[in-house]
Amino acid sequence: MTRFFSLIGRGLLQHRAMMYLLVGFALFPLYTGFADLPFWNDVAIRIMLLGMAAMGLNLVLGYGGMVSFGHAAFFGIGAYCVGISSYYDIFNGWIHIGFSLVTCGLMGVIIGLLSLRTSGIYFIMITLAFAQMLFFAFVSLETFGGDDGMSIDRAEFGLIDLYEPLRLYFLVWAALVIVSLLLMFIVHSRFGVTLRAIKSNESRVEAMGLTPLKFKITAYVISAMICGLAGTLFASWQEYVSPDIMHWTRSGELMIIIILGGLGTLAGPLLGAIAFLLLEEFLPELIQAIAPDYAENWMIVFGPILIAIVMFGRGGLLGLLIKLFQRKGAS
Amino acid sequence: MSSPILQLDGVMKSYDALLATNNVSLDVVAGEIHALIGPNGAGKTTLIKQIYGSERPDSGRILLNGENITSLSVPKRVRKGIGRSFQISNVLTDFTMRENAIIAAQAQRQEAFQFFLPAFDDASLIEDAMVILDAVGLTSKADILVSELAHGERRLLELALAMAGEPCLLLLDEPMAGAGPQESQHMTDIISALRARHGILLIEHDMDAVFALADRITVLVEGAVIAHGTSAEISQNPAVREAYLGREDEAC
Repeated sequence: MTRFFSLIGRGLLQHRAMMYLLVGFALFPLYTGFADLPFWNDVAIRIMLLGMAAMGLNLVLGYGGMVSFGHAAFFGIGAYCVGISSYYDIFNGWIHIGFSLVTCGLMGVIIGLLSLRTSGIYFIMITLAFAQMLFFAFVSLETFGGDDGMSIDRAEFGLIDLYEPLRLYFLVWAALVIVSLLLMFIVHSRFGVTLRAIKSNESRVEAMGLTPLKFKITAYVISAMICGLAGTLFASWQEYVSPDIMHWTRSGELMIIIILGGLGTLAGPLLGAIAFLLLEEFLPELIQAIAPDYAENWMIVFGPILIAIVMFGRGGLLGLLIKLFQRKGAS
Repeated sequence: MSSPILQLDGVMKSYDALLATNNVSLDVVAGEIHALIGPNGAGKTTLIKQIYGSERPDSGRILLNGENITSLSVPKRVRKGIGRSFQISNVLTDFTMRENAIIAAQAQRQEAFQFFLPAFDDASLIEDAMVILDAVGLTSKADILVSELAHGERRLLELALAMAGEPCLLLLDEPMAGAGPQESQHMTDIISALRARHGILLIEHDMDAVFALADRITVLVEGAVIAHGTSAEISQNPAVREAYLGREDEAC
């Protein structure tokens, strides 16, 4: 047990950036409260949830080297678990979460078993194909709103009323903390180290008497469940779910967030989510102010900014920050 | 003579029209280094792959300590006691030497699938790792990233990793490839000392090393065994001299 806590302590020290971000999100409502900017709480929730989904994907993409281009599917399944439960008059949030974890876990096993036998471009295409299949399945499910999606009420969590201000915010924050701690353990554990070894050289790991597929599928299932959890909370926050939530562009978005923040790092995806969503929020306004005629085309600026960060900031934003602080420390 | 660790019994393998392994039978006994030589394309690596499990023979049997392993997967064979070094260095380049050894140590303990046990900073794993590195004399470089190592040191690390599981059989595929004369000598000394603990099947083009190390030699040409015997017998064998050793001079 002492070993367990010493591991937490050391992990937190190693991941100071993650700790600062989590504390920052805990304190953020104080600022929005004083400044009377409740809208920004919603932006923060969005960041935390997309960040959480990206952290889930990062276990597979960054640590395991598996380029899954279909993780929005798990985010969407998690969201639809709320919609489908509500349709059958089940409003208990714990049940939503349990339903989502089990469903995403099972889907992760099935998709993982079928796709992880391939690698490289084939793996990318198969994961994308599965995600597209699920997308169109939900488009055609008229019972659950088809193309138009369905409105849902926020889930009930016993005494916690999610319609009260900030309750949902801290529920999401708590989930983010749990996911962060879990991932921190996993990436430093013997499993996590072996996963990174598989990314580095699969055949050497096999020569050590291990079955790489077993490790890859396990990581894939864990990451699917984390994305599912994020999707479940997202649906409750948005009070609405439609197939758009699992559109393939969201899979791409999650990948961009990870690369932007720092591939294969714990804090990277969350940092990436902050940068990505803030850019998405501010850029249109900024361009509106400078050149109103082009405000609609803000993506033309957005794209090159992303490319520049990815190309020139190797290690993503987290890498840039670490370099910055190390230089300061040295001088 | 002690009972064989490895026994191949009429192993055949073909790729379309190419007969890569033609009815090969050979054995490796405890305490010996058995060298497998032959010109390029003779099917040496293909044969090693079938023993290791990454390729399956079309027919024939492969026995490890008397147990039929012909249809087992690579990881299962490794767990039963086969260690391999590859023709092209095959180590974890994104990690330090120590981390490489730690990953091997936890795999050997069957503790790689643990989610809540520390790895790189676990005292007992570090201890095991240093034992693994010590076997090839690399402990002083434990904290160096493998991608920054010299070629010879990578080969040594790979040998250490192959031995980490204390396999009864070591498959060494050209351990001297790309090494300078000094490195070759060093590697020869190390491999020679391993004979006491592992049966070794060695593929090597460096004939000095082969004759210095091998207790027995099998000569493979176009997938078939054309000769086998002790080092002395093989060096005297006229068919071998013609098919293989004779050409060696021209090639070099």
